[in-house]
Amino acid sequence: MAVTFASRCSRVGRSLMGGLGNNLSNLRSTSSEITCSSFLSQQQRTFIQMRTVLKVVDNSGAKKVMCIQALKGKKGARLGDTIIASVKEAMPNGKVKKGKVVYGVVVRAAMQRGRCDGSEVKFDDNAVVLVEKQGQPIGTRVFGPVPHELRQKKHVKILTLAEHIA
Amino acid sequence: MRLEKCWFCSSTVYPGHGIQFVRNDAKIFCFCRSKCHKNFKMKRNPRKVKWTKAYRRLHGKDMTQDSTFEFERKRNRPERYDRNLAENTLKAIKKIDKIRSDRASDHIKNRLKTGKVQRQKEARKQLELGIHLVKAPLALAQDSSLCLPKIKVNVSQAQTEENQPMED
Repeated sequence: MAVTFASRCSRVGRSLMGGLGNNLSNLRSTSSEITCSSFLSQQQRTFIQMRTVLKVVDNSGAKKVMCIQALKGKKGARLGDTIIASVKEAMPNGKVKKGKVVYGVVVRAAMQRGRCDGSEVKFDDNAVVLVEKQGQPIGTRVFGPVPHELRQKKHVKILTLAEHIA
Repeated sequence: MRLEKCWFCSSTVYPGHGIQFVRNDAKIFCFCRSKCHKNFKMKRNPRKVKWTKAYRRLHGKDMTQDSTFEFERKRNRPERYDRNLAENTLKAIKKIDKIRSDRASDHIKNRLKTGKVQRQKEARKQLELGIHLVKAPLALAQDSSLCLPKIKVNVSQAQTEENQPMED
């Protein structure tokens, strides 16, 4: 009973404060996660916002980046959007070093995105491909599946490098 | 537009419904509704969940092999559009659907037939044993059609003396 109430109020809370308080929504989502994880692993997946850690899936040298700004979008970035990120973890000899501020294109998002035919897609994790300001990818390879929403956003180069298009 | 099959329950996913989940190994799972999606997240095996098509086919509840399934095989060669072909295909789809559903319901009916016969036999036996609960004994005695026909058994004198306490 308490679990369902918590999940229900967390769902309401998410819609109300989806964009407003970053810290508050994070706290609420983690608390509901803890209460619900014993019963079911139901997570409310939200946007990619400030301080979201994303995986880097190209060979530019970085391993993990933290989002510092989502360009376009009051609540945050979604699948196919560009973000500004700070490199938190990097390979020892790579094109990008730790602490560098880079642009990235979100290629996999755990939050579902609606397609034009009405269905929804979601991926397993949050992943990003580092790009320059113009939109050209820094790396030369992309790992894992990418959505074909990138074609509409004109990230054709990433699509050509991808090994699988979902 | 393509009609997908739900990965969990094998029902058709029409456009505008359901969620597609793409795993990092690039395997795509289509779900028809959140019920199937949540069961998947719980890591349930569809072959063990009773209401799915996978379970029913595995345990012989539904028809598995039939020539009508050949028509639904996925073919990756695109066909050149031909109006006559399209028209004939649409007519054929209706007919094949009807044939397939008729055969499937026949399969289920045959499967349930043995149980039905068994239940009728048991019911008849119960009626014979407990006819005194249904009809009054006077009515039974008067109306000879309700009670069992009396069979004459030739018994020797010694045996009748033994049987008397048992009849009570």
